[in-house]
Amino acid sequence: MTVSAFDVSPARSAASLRGLRLAGSLLGLAVLSAAALRFGFRPAGWDTVWAALTAYDPDDAAHIVIRGMRLPRLAGAVLAGAALGISGALIQGMTRNPLADPGLLGINGGAALGVVICILGFGITDPAAFVWVALGGALAASVLVFLLGGGSGASPLRLVLAGAALSALIIALTRALLLVSSQTLDVYRFWVLGGFDGIVPATLIALLPFLALGAGLAAVAAAGLNALLLGEDTARGLGVRTGLARATAGSAIVLLCGATVAMAGPIAFAGLIVPHLARWAAGPDMRWTLAFSAVFGPLLLVAADLAGRLPLFGGNMQAGVMTALIGGPVLIWMVRRNGVRSL
Amino acid sequence: MTWTLRFAALSVQISRRALLAGLCLMALLLAAALLAVQTGSYPLSSGQMAAVLQGRGTGIEQMILLDHRLPRIAAALGAGAAFGLAGAMFQTMLRNPLAAPDVIGFNAGASCGALAAVILTGGMMLAGAIAGAALAAALVLLLSWKDGLAPGRLILTGIGASLTLTAAADLLVSRIDPQTASDMVTWLTGSLHSRGWGDAARVWAGLALLAPVLWRLHFPLARLAMDDGIATGLGLPVSGLRLAVAGAGIVLTALAVTAAGPLPFVAFAAGPIARRLVPGGKPALLAAAAAGALMTLLADTAARMVPGVQLPAGVFTALTGAPVLLWLLLAHFRKGTL
Repeated sequence: MTVSAFDVSPARSAASLRGLRLAGSLLGLAVLSAAALRFGFRPAGWDTVWAALTAYDPDDAAHIVIRGMRLPRLAGAVLAGAALGISGALIQGMTRNPLADPGLLGINGGAALGVVICILGFGITDPAAFVWVALGGALAASVLVFLLGGGSGASPLRLVLAGAALSALIIALTRALLLVSSQTLDVYRFWVLGGFDGIVPATLIALLPFLALGAGLAAVAAAGLNALLLGEDTARGLGVRTGLARATAGSAIVLLCGATVAMAGPIAFAGLIVPHLARWAAGPDMRWTLAFSAVFGPLLLVAADLAGRLPLFGGNMQAGVMTALIGGPVLIWMVRRNGVRSL
Repeated sequence: MTWTLRFAALSVQISRRALLAGLCLMALLLAAALLAVQTGSYPLSSGQMAAVLQGRGTGIEQMILLDHRLPRIAAALGAGAAFGLAGAMFQTMLRNPLAAPDVIGFNAGASCGALAAVILTGGMMLAGAIAGAALAAALVLLLSWKDGLAPGRLILTGIGASLTLTAAADLLVSRIDPQTASDMVTWLTGSLHSRGWGDAARVWAGLALLAPVLWRLHFPLARLAMDDGIATGLGLPVSGLRLAVAGAGIVLTALAVTAAGPLPFVAFAAGPIARRLVPGGKPALLAAAAAGALMTLLADTAARMVPGVQLPAGVFTALTGAPVLLWLLLAHFRKGTL
């Protein structure tokens, strides 16, 4: 009898609890996604949503709205959420910095600046065409912020300050460039806020390979990052090639952020909030943190996109504005509560 | 080498380097003003200018010089000086070059306030800007207050507030009709377009009213720049003094924003430029004011020199502020002072 009590080891029960949490979050995401298909400017019934998905009628206005507009928008929010959540978890684990976020460190801003230059200079407005420029911008900004931030051994405060300064600079340059041409103002007004309005399936399909490659690299880097969280020397002692692990994680971040910005504009703060929630649910293991981030990110962005459709926010507020409105206070709260210290 | 000037009970020490830097800045300001008067879509030669000043110019020359160029230049100088003063005060007080009002959310607050005022009342942009800057500042200071003001916490709190307020401003812009939105985005980038004597008079009157306060704060600010322990040991009420300096800085920022919009990086860059010109322990407030004025005037003149488009001056202050920012970050990181 006592034997059976010892049968369930703490590790096993923690693992099953984690599995349950992940399943619960996925269920929550499914419910939220269904709601995102149903509600909007013209709410539809559940039966209409079901019919639009299973028996599509191209002559039915409600079906066109659900299948042609809300479904790509939902898919965009899910993909962007997963990408930003994963890249936030990677960047926080890699720098051991709880305040690291692709938006706050200027990586999203760099990608956005690249895109704006592309729109302005070459008149390209198709996300699938400017994704390479977005990737280049994200790469340049990441390299710059890590050089300015003092490399891998720097203090958390220095990295965040360097990143915040760099992103302030990039935002100012982006705005200045956009003002030069008034035609881009309309693109700017909606794209720069970050949102999923008007995403077309072709864009999603074109960007999917970049996102998949980024997610694959993130999964490969997870084990190395686990060791890195113990410290540089310990990781080396365990036989981890720390430089390679960092490079893999860094490439994943650039791919995920660049593709997301090309798709939906610079969405701030999702990468800051999501990994904290994920670590709380997953415990210290980086592989589980990444898995939870990949579910919590879509939860946050689909919820933000849905909330933006409430009449309270004018019926069509961009998801990026919602995340910034939530994320700024969360950042301030974290700074006030914990100060700035290492993970 | 220093000289001591005495007026009855009052004596002022002036170092030769500071005097030289001051004279250089004055000369540069004068040259920049002359350049600004003559350039534009209707160029004026020195001869035409002299004629107008003697009352002999043609009607159109008179109108351009007296009603357009001069008030715009005066407004640019006043706004730049106010930005420079506010920036140098905050940077000195918090001993950190990143702690400028434009970095920690005051400009974003002013933008939000102005936009909200335009949406709600259709005007009142200036009152809204002042209220927004004051609210943002109060919010940032209150939220970062925890047994006093720690610079690192204040800056990160300010950056968080700045990002949130910028998002709010973006949201407000997307709610306005496109024509007004275009004007508002120009203003939000910082522009001196169509400033009149009223705008210039407002900012200069504000500066004149604040001058005695700044004079009083100048000396304790120098102690505050050293170390909290030393300042407390010298008998200064450190946190109270910080509040006073912050109050003056907010008023200066609001004054500048009403005259020129939330020009980016002027408040941030003026202080470090002044510190380079006038080294030493004292806060170089006058030099910072001059540097801010020079930066703003040159940016506005450059904006007017580009033919065909109405560029806001903020484009050019952002472009000149950027290298200063990177240089400062690198210099401080190398010394390990940040």
